[in-house]
Amino acid sequence: MPSEIITLQLGQCGNQIGFEFWKRLCLEHGISPSGVLEDFANDGMDRKDVFFYQADDDHYIPRAVLLDLEPRVINTIMGSAYSKLYNPENVYLSKHGGGAGNNWASGYGQGEKLQEEVFDIIDREADGSDSLEGFILCHSIAGGTGSGMGSFIMERLADRYPKKLIQTFSVFPNQDEISDVVVQPYNSMLTLKRLTTAADSVVVLDNTALNRIACDRLHIQNPSFSQINNLVSTIMSVSTTTLRYPSYMNNNLIGLMAPLIPTPQLHFLMTGYTPLTSDSDINSQQPVNVRKTTVLDVMRRLLQPKNMMVSTGPDKSNHHCYISILNIIQGEVDPTQVHKSLQRIRDRKMAQFIPWGPTSIQVALSRSSPYVQSNHRVSGLMLANHTSICSLFERALNQYDKLRKRGAFLDQFRREDIFKDDLTELDESRETVDCLVQEYAAATREDYMQFSVKRGAGSADSKSEDCRSVTSGGA
Amino acid sequence: MATSKRQLPLCELLQILVSISEQRPNCIEVTKEIADILQRKDPMYALLVFVERYCEIDLSSRCSSGISLSTMGSPQGNRTPSSSVSDVNPAATLVPKSACSTTSTASTTSAGSSTSSILSLPQAQDFPTSTPVNSKKFADSDSSSGVFVRRGPIQRNHGPNKEERGDLSVIKERVLSAVSDRSLNSYRSGISDAPNSRSSNSSKTSAVMATPTGVPDEYRTHLLWDYYKVDGNKIPKAEIAALPLSSQENLLLDEVLHCLTGVRESLLVPRQPDPTTVGLARFETGFDINMQLDRSLAEMVQDILPLASHFMGMQKIATATDGQGQVMNSLNEALQDLTHDFYLLIVQAEQELRQHRLTLQKLLYYLQPTLWVMEEIWTSLVDIQLSDYRDAAVLTYLHERIKRLEGDRAAQQLIIGMARKAAEPYMRMLQLWIQKGVIVDRNREFLVEDNEVIHRDELPEHYSDDYWERRYNVRRDHIPSFLEKYSDKILRTGKYLNVIRQCGKRVMPTQEMHLEFDPTSERHVSVINDAYYFAARMLLDVLLTENDLMGHLQSVKRYLLLNQGDFTMQFMDACEDELTKNVDHVLPMTLENLLGLTLRLSSARNDPYKDDLHCELLPYDLVTQMSKIMNLKEEYWQAQPRLDLSGLECFAFTYEVKWPCSLVLNHIAISKYQMLFRQLFYCKHVERQLCKIWKENSIAKKFSPQAAELYRSAFTLRQRMMNAIQNLEYYMMIEIIEPNWHIFIEKMKTVENVDNVLRLHQDFLDSCLKNCMLTESSHLNRAIFKLCKICLKFCDFIQRSQRFFLDAELKSMVCDTHDSADSSESEQESLHRPQLETSLGPEDTFSERVKRFDLEFTGLLISFLKQINTMAKKNTADCFMNLVHRINFNAFYSDQMDKLCAKDAMG
Repeated sequence: MPSEIITLQLGQCGNQIGFEFWKRLCLEHGISPSGVLEDFANDGMDRKDVFFYQADDDHYIPRAVLLDLEPRVINTIMGSAYSKLYNPENVYLSKHGGGAGNNWASGYGQGEKLQEEVFDIIDREADGSDSLEGFILCHSIAGGTGSGMGSFIMERLADRYPKKLIQTFSVFPNQDEISDVVVQPYNSMLTLKRLTTAADSVVVLDNTALNRIACDRLHIQNPSFSQINNLVSTIMSVSTTTLRYPSYMNNNLIGLMAPLIPTPQLHFLMTGYTPLTSDSDINSQQPVNVRKTTVLDVMRRLLQPKNMMVSTGPDKSNHHCYISILNIIQGEVDPTQVHKSLQRIRDRKMAQFIPWGPTSIQVALSRSSPYVQSNHRVSGLMLANHTSICSLFERALNQYDKLRKRGAFLDQFRREDIFKDDLTELDESRETVDCLVQEYAAATREDYMQFSVKRGAGSADSKSEDCRSVTSGGA
Repeated sequence: MATSKRQLPLCELLQILVSISEQRPNCIEVTKEIADILQRKDPMYALLVFVERYCEIDLSSRCSSGISLSTMGSPQGNRTPSSSVSDVNPAATLVPKSACSTTSTASTTSAGSSTSSILSLPQAQDFPTSTPVNSKKFADSDSSSGVFVRRGPIQRNHGPNKEERGDLSVIKERVLSAVSDRSLNSYRSGISDAPNSRSSNSSKTSAVMATPTGVPDEYRTHLLWDYYKVDGNKIPKAEIAALPLSSQENLLLDEVLHCLTGVRESLLVPRQPDPTTVGLARFETGFDINMQLDRSLAEMVQDILPLASHFMGMQKIATATDGQGQVMNSLNEALQDLTHDFYLLIVQAEQELRQHRLTLQKLLYYLQPTLWVMEEIWTSLVDIQLSDYRDAAVLTYLHERIKRLEGDRAAQQLIIGMARKAAEPYMRMLQLWIQKGVIVDRNREFLVEDNEVIHRDELPEHYSDDYWERRYNVRRDHIPSFLEKYSDKILRTGKYLNVIRQCGKRVMPTQEMHLEFDPTSERHVSVINDAYYFAARMLLDVLLTENDLMGHLQSVKRYLLLNQGDFTMQFMDACEDELTKNVDHVLPMTLENLLGLTLRLSSARNDPYKDDLHCELLPYDLVTQMSKIMNLKEEYWQAQPRLDLSGLECFAFTYEVKWPCSLVLNHIAISKYQMLFRQLFYCKHVERQLCKIWKENSIAKKFSPQAAELYRSAFTLRQRMMNAIQNLEYYMMIEIIEPNWHIFIEKMKTVENVDNVLRLHQDFLDSCLKNCMLTESSHLNRAIFKLCKICLKFCDFIQRSQRFFLDAELKSMVCDTHDSADSSESEQESLHRPQLETSLGPEDTFSERVKRFDLEFTGLLISFLKQINTMAKKNTADCFMNLVHRINFNAFYSDQMDKLCAKDAMG
């Protein structure tokens, strides 16, 4: 009776990163693409049953539910070597296959219509596990299926399984390039509301940062989807490594997330990973960017913004700070180094922390898979709750406001049931996100405890102006 | 060789025998019989009959050793002098108590075994070859020659039965045959010599009883000849001065030879021993030389007389120390050999005298080498006797003496020979011990002491921890100095062998070894080392390889130190309901079943040792257990009145260990693990509760943003608690246990023996305990316990409030999403006010309650941190400070701590 986790993959993006994630898990646990345990993987010190269960013929089957409204990505998956891995009953493709047309409302509406069939699958999976701990949702917030249908499913899950955790790996759109999805700001805003109110924790995967990291750190000129997804799957697998290779601490999802999230709203987490290598690096024998890896090195690098998988933009005011940090360190680690590294970081004040509560860098030493060779001695993943994440939401608010002021592209939304009468859903979503931004901004200040949300306030810019003055006044 | 003057009249002999058997029940009959025989037959035969009779009586009731010995000795002593000495049954001197039993009972005692082994030794070859004097006998190829070298043309008469050993019956047979064809004269010569050849003799006994002389009996304690005045039928001596020089010399030579063997003569009169003398002089005899003696002769005699004095001193000491342990016996045996050689020398001199070829000059020449040998021995012996050295101390003394004699090679060699001989039984014991782990030590001479009383089958619960500590001890005062350095190794060697044997394995020494004390080559050291490494290696193999100690330790660490976190979590899930009950209501069987279930379902199912894990409900809390372990005082072990404890506070895993792993994972070690476990488990429980309310509280994200403010203080307090508890856990697990374990494992890779394993493991545990604040001296663990308690109370409070504010908020959200902040608060207050009554007043609102929790928790935490701070100032070696750094990583508590410090400073 382990604490099982069911993974839900939604939409094109969700299924793609999910696919990479499962590929990676199979590799780490020594499970072949067809689900058979490899001969060399018999030492049994890992916990496969968190993410897999065994079929009658002992094949390992991922606790994964694949959902999409259009067949392209799922067909690719089912055409790959891993087609036999998944339980075919868990793969759900909408009948008409037309997709959501990058329309949140369409995805949401279709989710509502298809909920019976979808929750049949989810309930079956949930019933099949002894003590389900929660769900992991992979999706993007910009498209139609992942965002719309994802939003609906999230809400329904929170109602249906109030005791279970809902964690998401949410891909935020790339801000550097012009999106072909014009209604992306609306989609993002509507999804963000659900992420705020329905999800317990959200791991933000910012495409902007992922692309930038691929370019700058991995020296890939035009990173492909699979290269980006490779990064994502690394993040996903490492962030679950303490669950799969249990040690003293952080052996379940709640133990992983609870210390990171002090108040329910502030549950958007950033990730950072170092040292970064791509497949091409290993194959082409290029000089690896990171040569020496010690615990301190890794922990120091993890605190550098350039290694973060979230692009927060330049922190002009310099008031943003860490609410909490968890570092998952893997590799040959001398446990005595951990303390020294922490001490160094503390003495040098390498990280800025919230003023209203105690917080620290937690370090979880995790075993790593014996079957995956790494060319680094030590590697580390940081899961951090940082107030600067609100810049992402501010950006989304700005874009939304611009679009909303013009009233552009709202027609396709009005066509769906949820916006049939009015557009209050959009306004409410905006307000929720605005509150979230305010809360994050307030979390940088000492008087966070006394903070209360101002409703219907102006743009987010003025808000952050506001809080800046407060901090400077306080300091 | 003995002159006719020396012979005892028959009546006198009879008198002696009567006096011997006086206390016997059948004394009269025997006396009669003997008198009869004496009339008709050879006195030798009469003596034999007497002995036989005597033994008849004696077999059942053993008489005092001295008398029985003398009777035993007499038939042998009456034999031809040349053979009688070599015939000496070493058993008689070695084991006086079993002197009689050597003939009758095959004894299995240590003395018996050593006796038999000595018997089988070709003694005549064994001793002299290792004797230094032997090195001086250049042309003498005869291996049977003694220490005392005959330099002259003295003809040796070989004893016809040199290697003859055996029981009394054989001796008797021989004596009988010898008596029949021997002249009375030879008998007489025998009787004159026999008493001296043996350290005790019937004729001496007769002297004690028969004729009172000037020497008080108390100075003749050991029935030595010792110049005892025997009023025999001595031919009155002619005025010595009247004799020609050559006759004088002959007479004198005769006397000197007698004097050397301890027989009283008229020309050389021993001075009365002064009872008041102390020290060296007690073992010295002075002689008055007849004034009429020619001056030149007198002076030469003067040179020889110290030999007599020293010889007699040696004899006295040898008899005085007889039977005082194997070492002394063995030393005496060596002395006996010396005595034998000495007698041989005297005999040969006497023979030459008979042939009128001996002059005083010649005698002095013959005796010259013997003089210093005897003096050397005498000095050593007197030292031993005066300091009352016994067993190991004797060896120590000899060893030191050898060292001191560096430079005087000959003397050193002599003492080495003696020491080697004396050390023989000791080394035999040592060999047995380091080779087989057996102690055969009746006289408690060996340096290792066995306290074993209980067999393994009846091992009490705590026995295995005592095993190492208590079963074998080194007796510090019983270590010969040359083994001092190795005493620890010696102790452990045998101990290891015993442990291996207790594991049911056969101890098979790889190579034969011969352990002999050799101060020059120190060969015994390498033998000891070899044996030690063999035993240590073997036991280590048994422990580490065959019994997979490390696997067990890993397993213990996995469960008792919560290294297998998922298992702990699952177990807590399963047992939570049971463990929150009062300990009196907890059913151990239920726990055990749940544990079994969890073990089989979790990732622990692959652990081969999972079945060794069991549940235990200890009837005391952690603090009590701590004091028990730390103090180890009996009174603490008494069950104290049971406190009102929850199952959780009493719960601990226990790990069943089998021999020999229980050596390392002994009761104390398991208890220490349990203490760590209880603290960790309790913290984990608190963490879980906090996580639980975290999940329940996460519903608040659905609340209106305005309402969230109300609960923020509660949430942040929860987070502060979580921060403190988790950091405490991280600190204990990752900063204390894991690094210490790491060090332990590293050291274990190079470990050489089990004691080191034990020590390392103990160090590991003690270091963990100390740094996890589980030592009695600091009351930190109480503070931790209080912190945990307040956290649990808070969790409880939040859980109870949860449904009220859930109702309130979600309802208010439905009815009024906008300005509900005030109304919801009042609504919720009214809702939970009647329910939330504990120690606090009922008028407290939710936020006030939270505030109180906040104050209480913060106060506890700050004082806890401060306590660590002050401790860290006193002792910088501790790493408690790391915990403060962790909890106060972003200096959140610094201000408050400073304030508290300032307050303390103010007064």
